[in-house]
Amino acid sequence: MRARDELVQRLATQRSEKLGGLSEGGFRELELDVRKNPQAFVDTPSDRAFYLVTRALERHEDACANEDLLDDDEYYASRTKRLARLTADCDEALAIDPDCLDAALIRLQASNLDPDRLLSALLDLSLSAQSQRVFDELQAKAPEGSLNAWTDLTVRPHLRLQAAVSRTALDTARYRLAAETGESCIALAPDDALGCRHTCALAYARLEDEESFDALDVRFSRQGSSWMHLARTILLYKLGRMGAAKRALEGYARLVEGGAYALLHPVMVELYLPDRPEAQPLSFEEATLVIAEADPIIMDVPDFIGWAQGTRNVWFAAESFAERNGFDW
Amino acid sequence: MAFDPHREDYQRLGLRFARSLDSDDPRDAAVAFATFGRRFAQNRDSLPQSDADRAFHLVADATTLIDYKLPFANDEEAETLISRARTLLGEAISLDERCHDAVRMQVAATTASFEGYYDFLRQGAEEVKASCEERGAEAAKDSAPERAQLAASIAMAPYLRWMAMLAEKAVICGRNREALRYANELLELDPADPADVRFTAALAYAKLEDDQGLDAFERRLVPTVHSHSSGNAWSSLARASLAYRRRDFFGARKQLRIMVASYPHAAVALARQRELPDGVFSRLCVPPYSEDEIIIAASEGTVLFQEGRDALGRGSFGSWVMLESLALATKEQLVEMSDLVETAATLVGKDQFNPSGTPGPGNRGQSGGPETPGGAS
Repeated sequence: MRARDELVQRLATQRSEKLGGLSEGGFRELELDVRKNPQAFVDTPSDRAFYLVTRALERHEDACANEDLLDDDEYYASRTKRLARLTADCDEALAIDPDCLDAALIRLQASNLDPDRLLSALLDLSLSAQSQRVFDELQAKAPEGSLNAWTDLTVRPHLRLQAAVSRTALDTARYRLAAETGESCIALAPDDALGCRHTCALAYARLEDEESFDALDVRFSRQGSSWMHLARTILLYKLGRMGAAKRALEGYARLVEGGAYALLHPVMVELYLPDRPEAQPLSFEEATLVIAEADPIIMDVPDFIGWAQGTRNVWFAAESFAERNGFDW
Repeated sequence: MAFDPHREDYQRLGLRFARSLDSDDPRDAAVAFATFGRRFAQNRDSLPQSDADRAFHLVADATTLIDYKLPFANDEEAETLISRARTLLGEAISLDERCHDAVRMQVAATTASFEGYYDFLRQGAEEVKASCEERGAEAAKDSAPERAQLAASIAMAPYLRWMAMLAEKAVICGRNREALRYANELLELDPADPADVRFTAALAYAKLEDDQGLDAFERRLVPTVHSHSSGNAWSSLARASLAYRRRDFFGARKQLRIMVASYPHAAVALARQRELPDGVFSRLCVPPYSEDEIIIAASEGTVLFQEGRDALGRGSFGSWVMLESLALATKEQLVEMSDLVETAATLVGKDQFNPSGTPGPGNRGQSGGPETPGGAS
């Protein structure tokens, strides 16, 4: 989540509206001022809470950045500490504005709940925040075919919550729910800035639902992504089309930097707070996210990894990536 | 009921014996047949039999060793059992190279990967079908129609087992659509479903989260010809999983209650979720609605239980079923499962977890979510 950008945009938009609208140039000037000193533009408890959430996320990110050199015990101690701090910061934001949905969402995500309970809590949050009503109203207002909920800053927290529901549903092996929730987000915000299509792609692969997978692929103009490439491989493998599955796997290994290595060497990734961290498309960093998200689905196909390992080009791609980067092999 | 190899062995020799009496006077034949049971048990070699019959007898003996004795053997005994079974299967194949059960069982024992065995079954299916049909056509030439029918069904049995095993392995390999294709092929061939492949199909529909597919599939079945007239544990498990994945906890609990009411000690089997080696000849042959059957169903239900992340590492649905089954268990069963009770208490908090024999509102809801179906949108 680009919290700082969203904060600036939000405060600038509100100030601009208060001033009766600004020219494009004027608005840009205003944005610069807000960026320099956002606090001066915080007018309402809701803005104040969002400001605190922004700061909390930045502080948390800084804490993560310093953990690279820690050993396991130190890392877990640091992790516990930073998550506790994040929770306390969210509580502070919620005390100022109990309706601060981002704070409530992050608080739940940081709470170390069992995924099943997290899902229940997220769905409860969605009910109490009346997300559905917000979406319905938006839909009723928008002229046919022009709906893009992402442009409305007040709606974004609701979309983030739905994206979290979709990912958590996937985590608890509720693939139909994951896909339905993801699809409903995409329908509301077709640009899909939150990458709900990625979760959908994995869910369709697991459900062996080729029709829905293809429809999704077409809707995004067959752009391809690390998720798409891996999901297609899993889908074809499960459907028993081994030649096509092998070509898809080789495509994944060729197009995704370090994708083969990430597949054969999965690593733990940090919690998504509140949404999937940004990574360069088709980069190794993205591949580690893809593999971590796909892990339960890969595990459900017991011989998938062995098959991937046995594919010559994939093995070589992983090996040479490890050599180039000085990684364990 | 699944396939009982000793029963089939008996039927094979019985048929052959009956045929050998055809030229006799009917009264003499009846007298002779009265001695069959004793001769089968005590002096098997005195009965007329083909090499294929002898081979199948060896398969039956090997099945006893691998499927019924091995799971209870210690390491030392296990080695002896395995090597004896291998010898029996090797002999069976040397007597009858078209003894598909023996070939299949031998490959199962020597193939390390799920996928390898699955591929072997997939690639061999057509040839086995042709071979069984050929034998079936031969058998159907019998002048007595009842005998012809039995002989034909015995001839096709190895193919039914082959395909049922293929469907079962497809689910384990994560190829659920393929599993359903095999199951449907088999049901088309024999709607009476002696292989109980519909149990495997129910699990595959649950894996695909296809409620409507399962409904339509079960509507197409002809219930009167099946061994389980009032539901079965596989279908209940599939429906519980489907409901759970929809977050219809009420519906999922209903299925658990049905199993607890239909099977003895079901609460224990469902809480334990022991993963047993699958039968190599076929799904183990146990009485319908027995404790053994629910244990086998729960073992095959592993594909549903152990999926999704959870705190206990049992899978999302597995953890939930464990907690719910403890709540449905009797006091005596809870004593027997004290280890699981302890695990459950660490998960939900000791003060909250207090299972008793009588499920009531007191111990509901601690294990996940509201009783009403929930949805994201």
